[in-house]
Amino acid sequence: VTSVSESSPPDIAEIIRLERACVIATLIRLAGNIDNAEDAFAEATIEALKRWPDAGIPTRPGAWLTTVARRKALDTLRRESKRSMRETEVALTEGPTDGDLLDVNTVRDDSLRLFFICCHPALPITTQVSLALRLIGGLTTAEIAHALLESEVATSKRITRGKAKIAANNIAYRIPADHELPERLHGVLNAIALIHTTGHHAPTGPVITRADLTAEALRLTELLARLMPDEPECLGLHALLVATAARASTRTDTAGQFVPLPAADRSKWNRGQASEARSILERALRFGRPGPFQLQAAISCLHSLAPTFEATDWPQICELYDRLEHFAPSTAVSVNRAVALAQRDGPEAGLSRLDQLAGDAAEWTFFHVACGHLHGQLGNASAAKESYETALRLTHNDIDRAYIEGLLES
Amino acid sequence: VPIFVAFVYESKDAPRDLDAPTFVAYMNRYVEFGQKAGHAIAGGAVLMPDWSATTIEVQGGQGGKVVLSDGPYVETREMLGGFYLLEAEHLDDAIALAAQIPSAWDGGRVEVRPTMPM
Repeated sequence: VTSVSESSPPDIAEIIRLERACVIATLIRLAGNIDNAEDAFAEATIEALKRWPDAGIPTRPGAWLTTVARRKALDTLRRESKRSMRETEVALTEGPTDGDLLDVNTVRDDSLRLFFICCHPALPITTQVSLALRLIGGLTTAEIAHALLESEVATSKRITRGKAKIAANNIAYRIPADHELPERLHGVLNAIALIHTTGHHAPTGPVITRADLTAEALRLTELLARLMPDEPECLGLHALLVATAARASTRTDTAGQFVPLPAADRSKWNRGQASEARSILERALRFGRPGPFQLQAAISCLHSLAPTFEATDWPQICELYDRLEHFAPSTAVSVNRAVALAQRDGPEAGLSRLDQLAGDAAEWTFFHVACGHLHGQLGNASAAKESYETALRLTHNDIDRAYIEGLLES
Repeated sequence: VPIFVAFVYESKDAPRDLDAPTFVAYMNRYVEFGQKAGHAIAGGAVLMPDWSATTIEVQGGQGGKVVLSDGPYVETREMLGGFYLLEAEHLDDAIALAAQIPSAWDGGRVEVRPTMPM
């Protein structure tokens, strides 16, 4: 037990926040149910806030919280044991000792189980995202609602339904077997990537980036990459998020307006993060098992490391987009590939590729912005104006709107 | 004696959550039916509500990629052709079994839903 003097209340809250995911992960296994685990954790938190300021912070706060929460869960179970819950009671009373609770492998496996249950493919993707933010990220329902730009009632209902579906279907609290692991892991990575995308380019609302969400996505990815250091796609997503973070400070100007990549002040980019991203990616690539997240990370790293927009390695970016289109075909990838192609082979080449995508990408703001930009480069002002006007009609984000209005005026 | 299956399609007003205030009264009407018609009831189960359902489609034929979607199967073009009661510990085990049912991989779908523990 550490000395009392250094433990001011904010430190305690922060320690509890950091320990939360691991403790919850173990409690779900012991209590056999997410709701009981969350309730028990809340009670243990109250106990910690009461006792730690005087008694000092335990040397192993996570184990302390788990032990207390386990006792609380057992109390609750005994109070409410109308139904037969013999099995759970055995797990709670005869479960691991405090020593076992600290076992690195057990904690590691429980944390992984938590990722896989939150992102189970039988749950809708928005539910996966909400559960991951809530149970692993430790965000409150209000914070998740705020981040996803929806009402607290909607978020709360989705989380409740998700937990009910897990319970009703007895979705197993386990790490998928080897043969199903690649696909299930991809599902987990997709959910985290969606959290990041939502934070990186908010689809609606008054701001374009939501730093809270991008930071949370990065934190979840770091944790997952630590838990699965031999999964190249996991490292790929980690590299992608770090490479994107390296450029984050110049996505908007001081007035909060969007700054496109060619106009970004590269002296403000975080060199440390850019090279960190590259070394994570290199570690991933050594496994010789490429995948969509490693390819996206490679593209992002090339941007983050390029000295200027013009000096960016466009031929290699085009090649990477070709491979990405093969691994994970999507309209967004095809449009980005066309834009890269325009940089390598000129605006005409890019535009003719974009024309082929017009059907699938018709509802996407950025597609029309890209068309407008290339029309403008070719000196076709009326076609450019038409594209920008279409883009303006499609956007729901205030910052995007201001940016496109700026393009229309110029 | 020939056996008939009676599929129960609930009213839109039926309680969709177990903790709804009207749930017990609603269920009691079925208990009452069960008592009255008990001599003719060969089996059956109460399904958990629609939100607990998962629909399975195997793409690319038998043994192909298992694609899950949340919720019941809502298309009505295909015909309801039968049902199995599967014993499975977890949803994943039920999905693994369901994915082998021909309609899951021949262009149809299989919806799996837990039954209410009675």
